[in-house]
Amino acid sequence: MKKIKKYIILILPLFLWSCEKDIDIELKTNDEKIVVEGAIEQGIPPMVILTKSVGFFAPTDLESYKNSFIKNAIITVSDGTTSVVLDTFSIQGYTVYSTLNSAIFGQVGKTYHLEIKALGKVLTSTTTIPVPQQINSFFYKDQPGYSNYGYLWFNQTDPPEYGNAYRIFTQRKGKDIRFLPADGSVWDDHLINGLTFEAFIWRGHEPNSTVEEDINETSQYYHQGDTIYIKFCTIDLPHFDFWESFETAAFNDGNPFAAPTTIRTNIEGGALGIWGGYGVTYDTIVAVD
Amino acid sequence: MKNSLLILFSFLFVFHSDVFSQKKYTISGYVKDKANGENSVGASIYIKELLKGNTSSTYGYYSITIEEGDYTIVVSYMGYKDIEQKISLHKDLRINFEIEEDVITTEEFQVIGEREDQNTNEAKMSTVELEVEQIKSLPAIFGEIDILKTIQLLPGVQSAGEGNSGFYVRGGGPDQNLILLDGATIYNASHLFGFFSVFNADAIKDVELIKGGMPAEFGGRLSSVLDITMNDGNFKEYKVDGGIGIISSRLTIQGPIKKDTASFIISGRRTYLGEIIQPFISDSSKFKGSNYYFYDLNAKFNWIVSEKDRLYLSGYFGRDVFTFKNSDDGFGMSTPWGNTIASLRWNHLFNNKLFLNTSVIYTDYQFEVGLEQDQFEFRLYSGVTDWNAKLDFNYLPSILHNVKFGANYIFHKFVPSNASAKSGEVDFNTGDIIINYAHDAAFYASDDWDVTEKLKVHGGLRYSLFQQIGPFKRYNNDEFGNPKDTTVYDKGEAVKLYQGLEPRFTMRYNINNQSSVKASYTQNYQYIHLASFASVSLPTDVWVPSTDLVQPQFSTQYATGYFRNFKENKFESSVEVYYKTMENQIEYSDGALPKDNAGNNVDNAFTFGKGWSYGAELFFKKKFGKVNGWVGYTLSWTKRQFDELNNGEVFFAKYDRRHDVSIVFTYDISKRLTLGATWVYASGNAITLPVSRYVIQGQIVSEYGDRNWYRMDAYHRMDLSLTLKGKETKKFKSSWNFSVYNVYNRQNPYFIYFANEGDVSAGTLNVQAKQVSLFGIIPSIAWNFSF
Repeated sequence: MKKIKKYIILILPLFLWSCEKDIDIELKTNDEKIVVEGAIEQGIPPMVILTKSVGFFAPTDLESYKNSFIKNAIITVSDGTTSVVLDTFSIQGYTVYSTLNSAIFGQVGKTYHLEIKALGKVLTSTTTIPVPQQINSFFYKDQPGYSNYGYLWFNQTDPPEYGNAYRIFTQRKGKDIRFLPADGSVWDDHLINGLTFEAFIWRGHEPNSTVEEDINETSQYYHQGDTIYIKFCTIDLPHFDFWESFETAAFNDGNPFAAPTTIRTNIEGGALGIWGGYGVTYDTIVAVD
Repeated sequence: MKNSLLILFSFLFVFHSDVFSQKKYTISGYVKDKANGENSVGASIYIKELLKGNTSSTYGYYSITIEEGDYTIVVSYMGYKDIEQKISLHKDLRINFEIEEDVITTEEFQVIGEREDQNTNEAKMSTVELEVEQIKSLPAIFGEIDILKTIQLLPGVQSAGEGNSGFYVRGGGPDQNLILLDGATIYNASHLFGFFSVFNADAIKDVELIKGGMPAEFGGRLSSVLDITMNDGNFKEYKVDGGIGIISSRLTIQGPIKKDTASFIISGRRTYLGEIIQPFISDSSKFKGSNYYFYDLNAKFNWIVSEKDRLYLSGYFGRDVFTFKNSDDGFGMSTPWGNTIASLRWNHLFNNKLFLNTSVIYTDYQFEVGLEQDQFEFRLYSGVTDWNAKLDFNYLPSILHNVKFGANYIFHKFVPSNASAKSGEVDFNTGDIIINYAHDAAFYASDDWDVTEKLKVHGGLRYSLFQQIGPFKRYNNDEFGNPKDTTVYDKGEAVKLYQGLEPRFTMRYNINNQSSVKASYTQNYQYIHLASFASVSLPTDVWVPSTDLVQPQFSTQYATGYFRNFKENKFESSVEVYYKTMENQIEYSDGALPKDNAGNNVDNAFTFGKGWSYGAELFFKKKFGKVNGWVGYTLSWTKRQFDELNNGEVFFAKYDRRHDVSIVFTYDISKRLTLGATWVYASGNAITLPVSRYVIQGQIVSEYGDRNWYRMDAYHRMDLSLTLKGKETKKFKSSWNFSVYNVYNRQNPYFIYFANEGDVSAGTLNVQAKQVSLFGIIPSIAWNFSF
């Protein structure tokens, strides 16, 4: 279903004579902005990484990416009663802000404020951890035409009020090293409010993966026999807005018929990115038709 | 408002004073083409002794009221032999003129149809008449001459780009052009993503484009009127015209049902490239089942009931069907779209001074997008249906005045966006179908008045109103687009009323008989709008009416110009400058997506602002001789300002084009061989490009800069054509047409995007700017015939 949304935006220009060439252009540069990637889930500490936006043609090697991480920020997370300043951790050379103070680990139903002081700026944001909704069932089906490949399907009943949104991640045992968001990982209840329905998800991949099975024609499927760990999250609407616009922008990149997508942010103070709460449920299935 | 009423009163005063002069009589009648009986539009009927005259109307009717006496009337029409007739006017006379084509045309006179000094003499300004015959010798892509493509060769008119429907006139959007076919509004005048228009040139008699100084009889759009008149049908004999090209073919059949009394014309056109390619797509190809075709049908029937009455019945039906299948993805898409138009018109002469045309018209435009992805199905439908009735009176009380007045009423039904989606058996909740209904009415009065020997004035006033009525449901949404509550209106209940006065004023001052100065001031309201998502206009753009949320667009245009003919009207030149302001312009809010329209009012996603454009148009035309053509140059600026976009700062509209040049040239190499060439140049389009990048989740995404801050490279292109006339017999004529589009194969920028190649964590990422071009060099060949 999410894929269809994307195809609505993509209007096909099919033309026998069109062609493409590389060109050199000069882009004016914007001021660098702080980019926040922050998340909090029930039962685990908040985690934030801060990077900077760079000029469009700026070098993108590993060194430059590591250098765009902001190391000396002062980040505070509070739930209205408890307020904790996050510590700095270095994971594989990348700076991550988090804490071991369990007083500020995520709790369902709470609202979390974020305050960041970095590079002379002050940024703030708010998110909630909604009550985690449950999926009725997950199952695997071979895709017609294939005997060992298929989508991960689910059956869901959406609660009757408007305002529910979801995000889904999967990790294949032995094949993925972490939870990866599905390809088209978020949806809200605008069209499905109160309904019970079935839909499928496209398997997500590591960003810019070059692994064969992530780029061939069966890249959206799971394989018969895969053990799939599923992390199904309920998120609030501003959080959903961010991922939806982000995935649309990433998908539209290169499509001349889409209007340039502005990725929404819930960070105030002139920054980019997201501070998002997740109400999480876990499931495991073995892909057998 | 006060000024407009003052103008209206002053005209009434003038009529009153006319009545008290010497005894006057009227000469009136029709001007027709002797060969086929078609009405001659815009023929000049001139009284030698008075140095005054009139032109025949769209229906070929003329009427001249002057003091009794002896006069010489001269009837002339470019490319036809003049008729000179002495008359003795002591009572009302009814004289019909039948003009004959001038056989010497090939040597001296190339351009037919227009009065010689029309350029300088008419009070009309910012108006261009296109001669269909001349268009036929211009380069034609795929051998199909195209009216919309030709008007884009005129200054002030810009193409929306290759593969793009729509055109922009003086900085106005594509929805600001009123396109009329025999008086019926056409909502989407293009086929094949704008490559072809819906007008089959074999069925067209006259084309007039009004860019400014719009007369009061027209309204509903801010920027232009493209008034296209179809042929009526040969009254004397049967004729067949046609052409066979590599992409499409067309056929026109016309003839008398009863000689000189009733006639018909039927014209059809269809593409078949899809069918030709089908057998070559193998069954196993993932694209099997993909196809594109369009067809058009024009039909007209007319009947001269009596000397006072005439009836016309015409219809147009056209469809585009685009089907794309990619079995790899389990994906299919189909988009049928098209117009259906039917109109009935009745001409009635009350007396020799008062002419009335009554029209009853039905217009329907629809498009549908159907998408299938595995078991999911999504359909989006949008359409406009109009029921329209018009009364247009033409009153010619004396040779000094040409009065027009009338009324226009349209009942609109809009379905801006009706979506349905389902997965297997489950229907998703796409909300109720939201339909907008509205009354759209206008009353107008105008006069073309010869104030003095040198000064001619066109003054008019149009009063228009638009009322949205129920049944209607307004979704009042929260900031996330989810419905909070709704307001429901019953059938016929008034939702919102808009009304306004539109004064129209043009003047022409003859400096001498070779040159004149003109000026105009007009105000226009526009009650219906085209909302477009992408930076290119597509059939998926939706027509929406003004509603409780959307106010009418409003513009004021000032224009002035100097017009000069040379060498006894063999050369025409003009320079015009204009300044136009536009209010209540519409754009989608930042971040709006088409899916937001489901279960919602389309206009909940709009944001409003203003625009303005100004510029200068230079035009030079050679009308006679073996070599003729024109050069047009436009220098213009078009800007917009929206509080909610671009941080409220002024930005350039996407169709702001600093320089626009067109050179058109035809050369009669010999009696049978004609060379046509066009060269166009346009400054680069304004687009929004990214200015920085950042990483989320290991993926690189772009941050976009100010709206439309970047200019693509300029667009220029040359087309050539060669027309070779076959051996002509009395019965049969044919010609071959060889055309080359984009002769020097310039890769004109259509769009720019950036491709990410590599992996950021491995440090091998490379971003490359890519420019997409649509059409390279395209040769084509067509064979045209008529008998």
